[in-house]
Amino acid sequence: MIRRIINLLDRWFGTKEAHRNFLARALPGKIGVSYCLGGMAFTAFLVSVLTGLLLSIYYVPSGTEAYPSIVTLHNEVWFGWGIRSIHKWSANFLIIFVALHAVRVFLHKAYRPPRELNWMAGALGFVLIMASGFTGYLLPWDQKAYWATVVGTSMAKTVPGAGGLLVRLLRGGPEVAGATLVRFYSMHVLWIPFGLMLIFWTHFHMVKRQGISGGL
Amino acid sequence: MQRRDFLSWLLKSAYAVLGLGCVATLPYLYRGGNEDIKTFFVKTVDEDDLPRRGVKEVEFPFRGLTHKAFIVRKNTDLFVLSPICSHLGCSVNWNFVNNEFDCPCHGGRYDMSGHVIGGPPPKPLTRLPYVIKDGFFYIGIRA
Repeated sequence: MIRRIINLLDRWFGTKEAHRNFLARALPGKIGVSYCLGGMAFTAFLVSVLTGLLLSIYYVPSGTEAYPSIVTLHNEVWFGWGIRSIHKWSANFLIIFVALHAVRVFLHKAYRPPRELNWMAGALGFVLIMASGFTGYLLPWDQKAYWATVVGTSMAKTVPGAGGLLVRLLRGGPEVAGATLVRFYSMHVLWIPFGLMLIFWTHFHMVKRQGISGGL
Repeated sequence: MQRRDFLSWLLKSAYAVLGLGCVATLPYLYRGGNEDIKTFFVKTVDEDDLPRRGVKEVEFPFRGLTHKAFIVRKNTDLFVLSPICSHLGCSVNWNFVNNEFDCPCHGGRYDMSGHVIGGPPPKPLTRLPYVIKDGFFYIGIRA
């Protein structure tokens, strides 16, 4: 039954060949587990995206309803607490794996030409992932989230000259309020994931083009 | 077992877990409730403002939404009609020229008592319960 469906898909779309090419690529023999860190980070990213899609079904990004919607998610939705926990933990693991991946690339000197552009793409992706963590932290709209964002956004004030403007742009007003929540929600679920997907696409494309670097 | 077979088995297991995971989200997405539907009587117009004959459209707020109903006096009968068309749930309008309720969506037509006189509706308009208390007219809403 499953085999017939797979064969049918293959006849229509030629999926078998692509699947084989994707999974059965020749790699240098000396590759070890540390080369998997990038892939592990991407897996954590995919888990974050999938659980985030599920969370967005119940989360309400408004000053009055954000926190109650999360209470509902926890207490009334089947496995709602679990989905939220998986989202949180996959996000944490994403940052850990990305950091370890960067260390691995650094130690193997894989940031050197011709791969300098890919190092930059990776660094930009790291910044976006941290931004995603920062914006996502506000969304529960509890005391901890609120004050963390007050402190976090006020750091932008220290930028010489443009500091005041930057803080206002981040907060969508003079203070952290409902407008900030909507802004952060938009960045967390639309702007940053879209940017990350572009970054990842270029990152993986360059790895495929340039191959895996020679190591230490 | 060879390494190649093991990896193939691992890949298939991963796909199976992914598929099961998709199925497992269904109870997460499904929300129960709505089993405890009750009739709420909502205050509308003053008793003195009831129509002496014909149809009066009233609007009243309930749970943050504006609801609409028709209070009808036909001969000596007084009743309340829901404006929800029995075909696909559009809101019907009272056509005082032809003395009928017209549905703007697919041309359903009802007479003053709510009986179907034309178009696709399968059932008459729903009659809503009402009470008159302390000089006010209360309409019953099921929610």
